[in-house]
Amino acid sequence: MSRDARPASFMNGAWRVFELSLGEMLWSRRTIFMAIVVGSPVILAVIARIVQATGIAPLRVNGVRVDAAGMFGMMIWILFLRFIVPVLGVFYGTALVADEVEDKTITYLFTRPIRRSAILVGKFIAYLVCTTLVVLPAVMLVYFLLVPFGEIGASFTSLLTDLGLLAIGLAAYGGLFALVGTVMKRPLVVGLVFAFGWEQLALIVPGYLRRFTLAYYLQALVPHAMPSDGVVSLLQSVFTDTPSATTSLASLAVAIAGSLMLAGRVVERREYVLDQ
Amino acid sequence: MTKRTRLFLLVAAGILTVGLGTGLLASYMGVQNLTLIGGNGPAEFAYVPADARAVGYANVRAVMDSELRRKLTDLHPGGDHARSFQEQTGIDVENDIDYVIAAVSGSDPASGGPPLVLARGRFDLVRLEGLARQEGGTVEEYKAIRLITHGDFGVGFMEPGLVAIGTPAAVRRAVDTKSGSATSISGNDELMRLVRDVDDGTVWGVARFDSLAGARLPLELSSKLPAINWFSIKGLINGGVEAQISAEARDDVAAQDLREVIRGFMALARMQIGQNVELADLMNSLQLGGQGKTVSLSFSVPSAMIDALGALRAHRRPEAPQPAPDAPGPSPEAPQRPAPPAL
Repeated sequence: MSRDARPASFMNGAWRVFELSLGEMLWSRRTIFMAIVVGSPVILAVIARIVQATGIAPLRVNGVRVDAAGMFGMMIWILFLRFIVPVLGVFYGTALVADEVEDKTITYLFTRPIRRSAILVGKFIAYLVCTTLVVLPAVMLVYFLLVPFGEIGASFTSLLTDLGLLAIGLAAYGGLFALVGTVMKRPLVVGLVFAFGWEQLALIVPGYLRRFTLAYYLQALVPHAMPSDGVVSLLQSVFTDTPSATTSLASLAVAIAGSLMLAGRVVERREYVLDQ
Repeated sequence: MTKRTRLFLLVAAGILTVGLGTGLLASYMGVQNLTLIGGNGPAEFAYVPADARAVGYANVRAVMDSELRRKLTDLHPGGDHARSFQEQTGIDVENDIDYVIAAVSGSDPASGGPPLVLARGRFDLVRLEGLARQEGGTVEEYKAIRLITHGDFGVGFMEPGLVAIGTPAAVRRAVDTKSGSATSISGNDELMRLVRDVDDGTVWGVARFDSLAGARLPLELSSKLPAINWFSIKGLINGGVEAQISAEARDDVAAQDLREVIRGFMALARMQIGQNVELADLMNSLQLGGQGKTVSLSFSVPSAMIDALGALRAHRRPEAPQPAPDAPGPSPEAPQRPAPPAL
């Protein structure tokens, strides 16, 4: 066996796939969707900043002026945590393997001297780098646009927490939906139903169901107050039981590691029959 | 990896690095302490000692000129007390006082004692001094400041248009603080940080929570409350009232607990008020906010709500019973409570 034909180590293989997949992910049509989704809060923050400069309160909720830090907190909750992170997780996570199957290109990857699970891990890391390097700078821009310079010192630790939890959220949703993408035939539909159906419902139902959602653990890490923006928030506040930060971090770590291991196992064992 | 992919990674990582660097620098250097960026409170803070546990401010001029005050005056006509106060002291509260600052100092929250009040406005010093002498007060000079004392009550004429009212010891300490013998509240970074957050209000106050609750709340209740260090309140008064109550908890966990407690009360209150439209508007305006160690609750009482409450009150007010022609009136010989000294 020649030197090149020897199977690469797991990490080497994952790195090769990462390098290949990162460029593909960044310059795909999905990136336009991601740019629109992640760019909207930045545009909103620019508008808010301009309105604020004219002396008008940019945001009032039921007549109450919302201050800059409050607006930033609302954006983290409503736009990033409840929408952007799950939606990116669904769209990118489910596509990690499913896209290769759909495009009938998975055969080319599987014929390389790389372990199948290394392909999945490499693609997952590429997804994580791609999304975090788009989402986190956007959050940073929103923060500096909204929060007055004099208040940065007081709220900076909260920003660090926000950045950390968004990265963890992207990893958790990405991992889970990568698993969905490897086992399900229509992973996108299942992912959307999970993120915007099951999770929303389970959070407002009393009992233990909420423990089977990712949002339950992610929301416990948010340093901002949950916005009281409707009946769903009211129900959530009534039936809330917030887990500790340690429990949340441990649960999310288990969810990420567990879903990736399961996804890797499925990819290793499954025989992909491509439609002709 | 292609060139444009590398470029993208560099730009994204650059934004993150610059942002994190700026934030870290701002946190480390305490940018909010720079007076170029944030104000350092009213000039009268030079009289307030650094160990103040609570400080409050009211822009009396703005409150008196507000639409809200006009509406409240229509609802509760009166003003006899203000008139008698003006007759005695020559001070027309509506026009002569611009703003007041009140501060409670000392390290022991349970010690109590009245606050030091600094009032900025236009005062007839000769008339006030004459009245004080008439009431048995004594006039003295303390570090070139004229000071009137009467038992535990003192008034110092600190500068033209500024009087300090409180215990004689507190007024003397205010004079000492201004003269530089003691550090003023502007040197209390912790308190000033909170003052800067609220000092754009028409009325505002900042206090250590233990100075508010420690001596007043029952032990059973205070021991169950999440650990709160500071408490602040800000009100913007115009046609209505916009208010924000904030608390700074000991840590993020205590703040989260406090949010849960408030959220529970808000949910309970929403269920309790049912179909009461006036209160429903108020409840809908309640916004729980804050981040990290800070918890804030904002609400708004709009002008229309005050009008509606006024109309409701007028509608519900029973007709005043007409006294019977033979009913005995108040006896002219009935003992009157002695009036407190005017100052």
